[in-house]
Amino acid sequence: MAAVTAAQPRSSKTESYVDNKRKEDIRQANIKAARAVADAVRTSLGPKGMDKMISTANGEVIITNDGATILNKMEVLQPAAKMLVDLSKSQDAAAGDGTTTVVVIAGALLKQCLLLLTNGIHPTVISDALHKASTKAVDVLTAMAVPLELSDRESLIKSASTSLNSKVVSQYSTLLAPLAVDSVLSVVDPEKPEMVDLRDIKIVKKLGGTVDDTELVKGLVFDKKASHAAGGPTRMENAKIAVIQFQISPPKTDIEQSIVVSDYTQMDRILKEERNYILGMIKKIKATGCNVLLIQKSILRDAVTDLSLHYLAKAKIMVIKDVERDDIEFITKTLNCLPIANIEHFRAEKLGHADLVEEVSLGDGKIVKVTGIKDMGRTTTVLIRGSNQLVIDEAERSLHDALCVVRCLVSKRFLIAGGGAPEIELSRQLGAWSKVLHGMEGYCVRSFAEALEVIPYTLAENAGLNPIAIVTELRNRHAQGEINAGINVRKGQITNILEENVVQPLLVSTSAITLATECVRMILKIDDIVNVR
Amino acid sequence: MAIEKIFKDDATEEKGERARMSSFVGAIAITDLVKTTLGPKGMDKILQSTGRGHGVTVTNDGATILKSLHIDNPAAKVLIDISKVQDDEVGDGTTSVVVLAGELLREAEKLVASKIHPMTIISGYRMAAECARNALLQRVVDNKENAEKFKSDLMKIAKTTLSSKILSQDKEHFAQLAVEAVMRLKGSTNLEAIQIIKKPGGSLKDSFLDEGFILDKKIGLGQPKRIENAKILVANTAMDTDKVKIYGARVRVDSMSKVAEIEGAEKEKMREKVQKIIAHGINCFVNRQLIYNFPEELFADAGILAIEHADFDGIERLALVTGGEIASTFDNPESVKIGHCKLIEEIMIGEDKLIHFSGVEMGQACTIVLRGASHHVLDEAERSLHDALCVLSQTVNDTRVLLGGGWPEMVMAKEVDELARKTPGKKSHAIEAFSRALVAIPTIIADNAGLDSADLVAQLRAAHHTEGCNAGIDVISGSVGDMAELGISESFKVKQAVLLSATEAAEMILRVDEIITCAPRQREDRM
Repeated sequence: MAAVTAAQPRSSKTESYVDNKRKEDIRQANIKAARAVADAVRTSLGPKGMDKMISTANGEVIITNDGATILNKMEVLQPAAKMLVDLSKSQDAAAGDGTTTVVVIAGALLKQCLLLLTNGIHPTVISDALHKASTKAVDVLTAMAVPLELSDRESLIKSASTSLNSKVVSQYSTLLAPLAVDSVLSVVDPEKPEMVDLRDIKIVKKLGGTVDDTELVKGLVFDKKASHAAGGPTRMENAKIAVIQFQISPPKTDIEQSIVVSDYTQMDRILKEERNYILGMIKKIKATGCNVLLIQKSILRDAVTDLSLHYLAKAKIMVIKDVERDDIEFITKTLNCLPIANIEHFRAEKLGHADLVEEVSLGDGKIVKVTGIKDMGRTTTVLIRGSNQLVIDEAERSLHDALCVVRCLVSKRFLIAGGGAPEIELSRQLGAWSKVLHGMEGYCVRSFAEALEVIPYTLAENAGLNPIAIVTELRNRHAQGEINAGINVRKGQITNILEENVVQPLLVSTSAITLATECVRMILKIDDIVNVR
Repeated sequence: MAIEKIFKDDATEEKGERARMSSFVGAIAITDLVKTTLGPKGMDKILQSTGRGHGVTVTNDGATILKSLHIDNPAAKVLIDISKVQDDEVGDGTTSVVVLAGELLREAEKLVASKIHPMTIISGYRMAAECARNALLQRVVDNKENAEKFKSDLMKIAKTTLSSKILSQDKEHFAQLAVEAVMRLKGSTNLEAIQIIKKPGGSLKDSFLDEGFILDKKIGLGQPKRIENAKILVANTAMDTDKVKIYGARVRVDSMSKVAEIEGAEKEKMREKVQKIIAHGINCFVNRQLIYNFPEELFADAGILAIEHADFDGIERLALVTGGEIASTFDNPESVKIGHCKLIEEIMIGEDKLIHFSGVEMGQACTIVLRGASHHVLDEAERSLHDALCVLSQTVNDTRVLLGGGWPEMVMAKEVDELARKTPGKKSHAIEAFSRALVAIPTIIADNAGLDSADLVAQLRAAHHTEGCNAGIDVISGSVGDMAELGISESFKVKQAVLLSATEAAEMILRVDEIITCAPRQREDRM
């Protein structure tokens, strides 16, 4: 390419020709780079997709099947390739699942575009045609979709397990899918049924055990020990819980201060005063009947000292320290209590109530569980277990995808078949539609339709089946009107995929197609890369 | 070269023909760079930053491309400057102005080669520009009186501006957004009151206009999530503790209880401050700085919604739209202007919670929430929308409207051609050249769309020979079409600015016959 740049002549006569050459080159380079990215994640698509091991710059190793995570860690530099990484991120934000699918579709579309470009079709014509095709595709998908009621727990679980089946943790999908469904349903606010804030679902990871031990906790889980200093209580029934944002330690002013000790007796006095000061605070706390303290981490000074822990233990108050400020909102929402920022404001009505707060030994560490919370807010906690950190991290990502799937279903209550069925149907219908279109448009739409076949093709390929045989068979079945025929990867044949309980939310499919098209159109429209400051 | 060493080492001097050539080459190179972005089928550019992070911008906006270029050629810098001025003045036509100036210079290059003095060219260009402007003035449409028609004019202009941008597919939707937003301004060109919030996720079609103001912040803990008839105090004050800001100030005490007392006093001071703030009779407090846990709790107790850490831009706008002012002392409640709005509530866009102020004092204020696949899309959408808003707000003030799609250029070219025929002397060559430069714009638009520009422009020229013709290039169908029927319009103000500043810039570059490059300042670490 450098040669072309150098050869660019300055006279205006021949310039238009050479200019176009350069633009074609840039476009081709962009498309190639983007396709390289797509090819990198292609093999991780589907239930029999493979995982990738990524060793990051700081020596950390990640094993994952999640497209968004793989791309995120790849650190690509080429601008067009970067756009594909962003595409997968957007899909993650919009639907949470289908992050690999979206990139694979974009890659296939780009491949077709390259063909169209070499045939001399103007990029903007292709771009417009793609837009039309994607709008039509969304219509087709919507027409295929099956409506769903939130009360239909079975269907929700089915779609969550479809998402989980392609992950490392697929063997646990029977456990994780219902868990994901239950946790999302428990945070749905009946007043605003379309809104699910996944931040209301807290995921706590703890090493040890197996993924089988993962559980949904109706309450709170802290990945911390209760304070053991001086034999404080580690189990508390009928707990009255206070979330405090002040410190139980010797006073510290914002102005720099120093205590002048001039003689020996004063030293004793100061120690005694310190003790009295702390004792005073603890008495006030005790007076409200509080027996569990959650103490926010403080950067200014020690949140608690050994001395105060000692007195708290004496007063039979269970202490959990170093709670992050970011977690306070979640905790207060769950416990239905208010944070207390000053000892003077320590009043009984600000406390939260729970039946049981206890420390539980788990694997190599301990956690604190709060259960039986009175007037619990709409939050929930999932405790993930696993035999090593890699499994736990992957389980978390998979669970996140499953949660997103359920959330999609809550906000847009339609299901669609999985297993490549919608794509092949789209391809068929768009192919038929392209025949009635005029001119270049029809040609481009047909390419779009062909590009979509990449999904069943890749699914079959990754499962070790003969992709061409499978795709032609699928086409055949769809042409005969079996719109739900898809690849059953486990059996290695084509079946009615709806009956096999392989379903996914409509939103995942539609957003994958619209986002991929949008990204491809953007790449097509670029004709130059300019280096700037 | 009798006297050497007039300048410092490294300083260079280019004279006469060479200087002019170097200006021409520089200016034309810049033009060629941006000209493919012109028109509804123009292409985009990737701007790859060579700085840290290798940030990537994808854009179609001439001003943005030019602004970020590394340029060493002085003439090219002049072009970049006019594009910047165009951006500041009218907001759109930033590419057109550079392309026109470049084409004028390209023509001038040929004239100079055929031994015409630059000054003659300049005076010819001036006459031509004056004539072209008059031609436009004769053909402008002004629908100021007819509100209904004017609004449809605005819609057309918005659509035309947007059709060359990323938003082209949803231009109907965005044109509607932009027109509504600008109509709310009621004639003021203060685009400050239109806030644009970008949220990744969703698609461009999900973007919407919302009256009022949206602040990308969270509401403090335990505080009301919804307030009606809110009285808002906007402040910029430290809400941790009022530190004694004397260097090295410290207290010496001799016992623990005294420390506790001082701590208590600090707390008390804070409490007083909060009480003073509450005494303003407010129910919403927005602070630019952090609000710590303690005051936050006090506010929560008083049932006041406290928002911490709002950014500078955020609070200034908030103060503007709610009609309040930013306070930093709270001793005189009477003297502080408090902002009002009908309703504050938490809303959710995508995955984020935001605070929405509706029914604000300044009725013009509104917020456009942009949704899109990625940050690239959003940034570009914002630039496009900004262009549309600028043009519209200018059009509201100067209501004269022209047709688009190369129509104005053809009209001007025809008039200028006639002038050339009437003008005796060498100037007529320059005037003719001016008309050729004008025709270059429709040519480029056609070329970018992959159409046969020579054929189309010839057809267009023939069509324009009849009086009162509305012909322009219909890029979508690839033929000559009636611009009035297709609803493609442009603001007169933009076209006029393009014409005048391009001519001026070309003139300025033409006048140059010597370039002196000063010795660069020595730097240790070159990039």
